[in-house]
Amino acid sequence: MHRRTFLQIAAAAPAALAANDRKIPKYRVVSSFQPASPPGMPGLYPGKVVSVHGAHSIDEATEKPDPAAVREMMARGMRALTGDADVRDAWARFVAPSDVVGIKVNCSGAPGIMSSPVVVAEVVRNLMAVGIQPGGIWIYERFEDQMQSVHYDRYVPDGVHIWTAETRRGSAESYDPATYVETEFFDEDDTRSNLIRLVGNRFTKIINVPNMKDHGAAGVTGCLKNIAYGSFSNVARSHSGSVTNTYSFIGTLAAVEPLRSRTVLQVMDGLRGVWHGGPFSPSRKFRFYPKRMLFGTDPVAVDRLLLDIIDQKRKAEDAVSVWDRSAKYLGDQGDHENNPNVNQFVREPGHIEYAARLGLGVYERDKIKVASVEI
Amino acid sequence: MPLALLAVLLPTLFWDRSASSADALRKAGIDRLLVPAGQEQAWRKLGFTAARFDRAGAATAVAPNVEYRMDVASATRVPWLDANGWRYDREPARAFFCDAPAGSAALAAAEAFAYGVEAAIRAAPDDLPPFAGMLRFLAGIDQPRLPVMANIGVVDNGSDTMGEVLNLLSRHNLLFHVVPAVGQKYDLNLREVPADANPYEFAMQIRRQLTDAKRLVRIYGSNVVLARLTGDPAQARLHLLNYGKAVIKGLRVRVLGSYPQGQLAAYAHPRAALEDYSVKDGATEFTISEMGAYAVADLRR
Repeated sequence: MHRRTFLQIAAAAPAALAANDRKIPKYRVVSSFQPASPPGMPGLYPGKVVSVHGAHSIDEATEKPDPAAVREMMARGMRALTGDADVRDAWARFVAPSDVVGIKVNCSGAPGIMSSPVVVAEVVRNLMAVGIQPGGIWIYERFEDQMQSVHYDRYVPDGVHIWTAETRRGSAESYDPATYVETEFFDEDDTRSNLIRLVGNRFTKIINVPNMKDHGAAGVTGCLKNIAYGSFSNVARSHSGSVTNTYSFIGTLAAVEPLRSRTVLQVMDGLRGVWHGGPFSPSRKFRFYPKRMLFGTDPVAVDRLLLDIIDQKRKAEDAVSVWDRSAKYLGDQGDHENNPNVNQFVREPGHIEYAARLGLGVYERDKIKVASVEI
Repeated sequence: MPLALLAVLLPTLFWDRSASSADALRKAGIDRLLVPAGQEQAWRKLGFTAARFDRAGAATAVAPNVEYRMDVASATRVPWLDANGWRYDREPARAFFCDAPAGSAALAAAEAFAYGVEAAIRAAPDDLPPFAGMLRFLAGIDQPRLPVMANIGVVDNGSDTMGEVLNLLSRHNLLFHVVPAVGQKYDLNLREVPADANPYEFAMQIRRQLTDAKRLVRIYGSNVVLARLTGDPAQARLHLLNYGKAVIKGLRVRVLGSYPQGQLAAYAHPRAALEDYSVKDGATEFTISEMGAYAVADLRR
């Protein structure tokens, strides 16, 4: 038998297992960083989410956000989160002029969906209003090709860093060799996922700016997935066949110090969203326009709301629930991208509850306090 | 070891093209050739050191290569590698012939050097400069051969199934050494592979049995780099072969054992160095800032 035939036989095994029989891999976390008190996640406001709806925040035809509406949404959201009358005081609860701030954006669905440059620019403006210099602000993402398509540089002042960890896919030079999670999922040899160096060596605070997206493996991708898979190397290895280990890997990564302690604020950009096919968005037919931004420090609580938003939209579109684990909906990637009733993986929306068990936030819906703001 | 004998271990260009190609060889800096029978004198008259090579009598080595086959299901998304290390370890005394298409001759030379086999490499004309550059690099780092370091002793029965298992062990950097009989010096000894075994599953079973903690070498940050380790109680030499086409930046390596001193030589990357060097918990770790087809880390206790 040819050796490649052997390998293909071996490859069939994970698919056949499917993931009703979910196992938690053994993780070894290596970090010399100590937690802050309190750590940034769940942070100053555990179990609290401010949901701001701006009816005119984005033009659905052009998909262009309205900067003025975004500014008002962010100001109202931050004031409601903190209780401060002055928006600058609200931001000053999280950052100081001496901080070096990383803004974790999400560009995996760009140019269809990404952390909107208008939203990111408004975050930058607020940071500068607190006294942080442009050179102390780093907009960061893992992959250069995705980031470049967004052109954040056209929206933020000169001096703000726009930085990616991997100028070439798979390049490991920008990751910290001493801070990693080691585990083996599917016989892979490279069993480490390393934290971006800047997170430990440069940033003193991180602001997480995810989108509202469905995710073929994780169920949804919000705060937790963006900060976890977006700050570590070698994470795609967690999926194989129809099985994904996102259930436990996302929370495990997000809980690694110093990422957990330094991520002090969650600003979910839901001006537009993706209800199927995420994290990518090659087709506009699966985009929708919640015109909403969620603010909090608790990534679990924010993502818990996101779950309902995405699942309700899928229900409205007669698509299978993100919670459905049935093998009958499994298909290949091509079908998944075009048909909302085909799953590429057995989805793992339970990753959010798992993260709660790691102490990253409040999962129970009735314990989450939601403050709604309408603009 | 006499210099002349060391030189014999360097791979050599096999050249069966016409004498009109002599200038191209000279331009590349190649003056030593293996040629088909009957052509030795002609090349010697042109000033080359030429010896006859019996291609038919040599074992065949494949052209080193990587294939990213995204359309084929795989257990680990690991690309296919065409590598010769396992072949060389199986028949270290044989002379090998490798017909290397453009882009692969330098790596083929490094591969043969790392495993210390006699190899004749037929390079494409466009590959003469990098091939010659690799030969100069290899000559610069050549030193007396150190014993092979391995976790797994293999008594090779010569079967195809065993060959495939060896290939997969090599592919996963599970270091083995083919030995005539079971020995005490290895963590595991492999005497036979059941005829009906799935070689992949079998290799993974060996990995589990050995445990990753005991593996002599671990590679992080690339899945197209294969390692060869030699050493004695005072030192170790780690050969790293990159089958990918791209330069690798930030390759993390873990070598079992404490080696407080390390030095890197990377082909075509003279500024490359060992970074973030650490020795703890009975292992040595470092990051290779950048490497192309081949790099060697010399480690000392």
